[in-house]
Amino acid sequence: MLARVGESLYWMSRYLERAEDTARLINASTMLLMDMPRGASFGWEGLLNVVGLDKAFHELYDQASETAVMSFLIQDERNPSSIFACVRHARENTRTFREVLPRESWEWVNELYLYTSTHLASALDRRKRFEVLSEVIRRRQTLVGLLVGTMSRDEAFQLMRLGRNVERADMTSRVLDVSYAINLPYENSQYYDLIWMSVLHSLSAHQMYRRHVGVHARGHKVLAFLLDDLKFPRSVRHCLHEIESALGGLPPGDEPRQRVQAMLNQADQADFRKLAKNGLHDFCDNIQTSLAELNVIINRTYFRVEQPQKKMTQSQSSQA
Amino acid sequence: MKIDCGNYPLQGGYDELIEAPGKPRASAEGLCNFFAGLAGEELESRHHAVDVSIMAAGITFTVYSEAGNIDRAWPFDVVPRIIDRTEWEHIEAGLKQRLKALNLFIDDIYHDQNIIKDGVFPADVLVDSRNFRAACVGANPPFGVWAHICGTDLVRDGDGKFYVLEDNLRVPSGVSYMLENRQLMKRLFPELFSRYDVLPVDDYTAQLHDMLAALSPREGDRPEIAVLTPGVFNSAYFEHSYLAQQMGAYLVEGSDLVVLDDDCVYMKTIEGLTRLDVIYRRVDDDFIDPEVFRADSSLGVPGLMRAWKKGNVGIANAPGSGVADDKVVYVFVPQMIKYYLNEEAILPNVPSYLCMHEADREYVLANLDKLVVKPANESGGYGMLIGPMSTPEEREKFAALIREHPRNYMAQPTLALSTVPTLCEDAIEPRHVDLRPFILQSKDMYVTHGGLTRVALRRGSLVVNSSQGGGSKDTWIVQGVI
Repeated sequence: MLARVGESLYWMSRYLERAEDTARLINASTMLLMDMPRGASFGWEGLLNVVGLDKAFHELYDQASETAVMSFLIQDERNPSSIFACVRHARENTRTFREVLPRESWEWVNELYLYTSTHLASALDRRKRFEVLSEVIRRRQTLVGLLVGTMSRDEAFQLMRLGRNVERADMTSRVLDVSYAINLPYENSQYYDLIWMSVLHSLSAHQMYRRHVGVHARGHKVLAFLLDDLKFPRSVRHCLHEIESALGGLPPGDEPRQRVQAMLNQADQADFRKLAKNGLHDFCDNIQTSLAELNVIINRTYFRVEQPQKKMTQSQSSQA
Repeated sequence: MKIDCGNYPLQGGYDELIEAPGKPRASAEGLCNFFAGLAGEELESRHHAVDVSIMAAGITFTVYSEAGNIDRAWPFDVVPRIIDRTEWEHIEAGLKQRLKALNLFIDDIYHDQNIIKDGVFPADVLVDSRNFRAACVGANPPFGVWAHICGTDLVRDGDGKFYVLEDNLRVPSGVSYMLENRQLMKRLFPELFSRYDVLPVDDYTAQLHDMLAALSPREGDRPEIAVLTPGVFNSAYFEHSYLAQQMGAYLVEGSDLVVLDDDCVYMKTIEGLTRLDVIYRRVDDDFIDPEVFRADSSLGVPGLMRAWKKGNVGIANAPGSGVADDKVVYVFVPQMIKYYLNEEAILPNVPSYLCMHEADREYVLANLDKLVVKPANESGGYGMLIGPMSTPEEREKFAALIREHPRNYMAQPTLALSTVPTLCEDAIEPRHVDLRPFILQSKDMYVTHGGLTRVALRRGSLVVNSSQGGGSKDTWIVQGVI
């Protein structure tokens, strides 16, 4: 696998995961907002904090109104993490490595792009939003299904799996971090359960949580589920195991493996009852920093190829 | 909208499907009946489905224009062109004969130049050749073959005979569209394929792979093969990635490769450096090695020529093979066939006038309004004068150009290119076509079953190049009608 192509695959996968996660997050937030008392502190600004784009937003817009935030997160090309920008970026990347993916994947990424370029504008309107964003999610999931169902577990596959899980772990930790801060003032109120349910919703985790944990969304249990559950595919621990396993399918490289192992060791020591009371922000922050470092290490290990130093010629060595 | 043989406005030239008003050619009868039986809306809805499929598949090409580069959907026409297998076998033999002679010529030119010594080919044509590469003199590519992939343009004139218009030996493109056109037809008109035995085209990529693999300098059954592309902004990028995908080869850019001190070529992979055996280059040879050719090129690989000359990497087409892709050299191909193979050319050239010869030049200058004038080294239909459609100013400009650089120009009579029924705005009308089959040669030879039929979509136009408003059709070599 060419290093350049490997890097593109990794990022293509990250961008598509980001587009899908953002769509899920917006859908859940829109639903939650309809349940909240008017003037509740969970507003559109909060959503910007979750994705870490509050600064970038305010460079372009004044007010964090619903229309402005939706436009920024969904279709604004100036925001490289907007759903549209992510899909377009993924499509441009996919063009350059059609030879390593199943033939249909380019068609489906291209169709996803054509869909977003014609339909995303209507997602600014609350009445259409759910439908359009769900379609984005569905199309992206179809693509993942195609790859899982038809691709050999080769290096290309592992790099995409790596990108998907690095991005997903990052998103889960962000959603938790920010929602938790927003939720604190509502402790003991009627909205408490509701907001935690919404956190689960935004990560598409509510159904599995109900089945495997319980019907009530309690802070520390939600934390444990989203950070530490072995079986839920969006929990940070599950993502780390996926990353570990994907690295196993790539050419040898000690550094990335050691870093993931260190992150798993840290997770082993977490006490979620304590974290639910305080320290969650630092904990999540730590996850995000470690993922960023892992990203640098992956880049160095697989995508930057060292050329051997020029061998000294006969005459040079004799002079030396 | 139907193919209505009775009302089809035949244009006097040769039509590939309709022989005379109300009378389809024998091999086209089933097709015409099929289209006649389709309700208007049905045809339109299938035509629309074609457009949707093309957009979805992202089958595009880039058009360079003053307004910037535009990625256009590939214009595809749903009415296929049909050629009878018996006729095709004759053409196939002619194409193989031609490429064999061209490769002997190139190899001779870079070695002893016997064809010049024997007075068959004029020395001054070579002196002025823009595509002769001095750096290739004395090189010995495997099997003595230089041009491994050739796209030969054929046209059928009013007399119903096929003529060779030109041989594209540098980086001929279009084969991916030939393959995609068939896919589209199979998806959209599956019933048609039960009425005909159409020779499949799909094995091209396997043949291409085997041809390239035979160029590998190393023993072993899985050589590392890569398609070298100038990058995503090249007009044929779609094809480069398509072929790499179909062959299971790498798609590389110059910056992905490096030549080390051992004069071998390596790819930068996620495991480190990996040796590369064969390069199918889709970069003009002027750009492939800044150490030898254009120093300002960032598309190539420094040291690539060194590696190739030492036999450490196979390159297709070999650097320097463009010397035979020249519209003046073209004129001498029948003589080459005689000289190297001692055979008569199976496929005739279009009669041509060489402006370097005084008598021819005077004739050309006196008849500019009737002739097509072509520069020796351009491709893609650029820089041509089509006499009957030209203005007096254009003719004056070309007269001056010809007088200044006679060696750079040749002229041919304006051919009455054959037509094929084509779905136009509101009716099925005749449109002019040509045909580009692809011929492969390394250890063995292979010719595609048919090729890419290009169609001039504008009424009356003779220019079929996709960069100038051309489209394409599926081409069927048929075994006989069921």
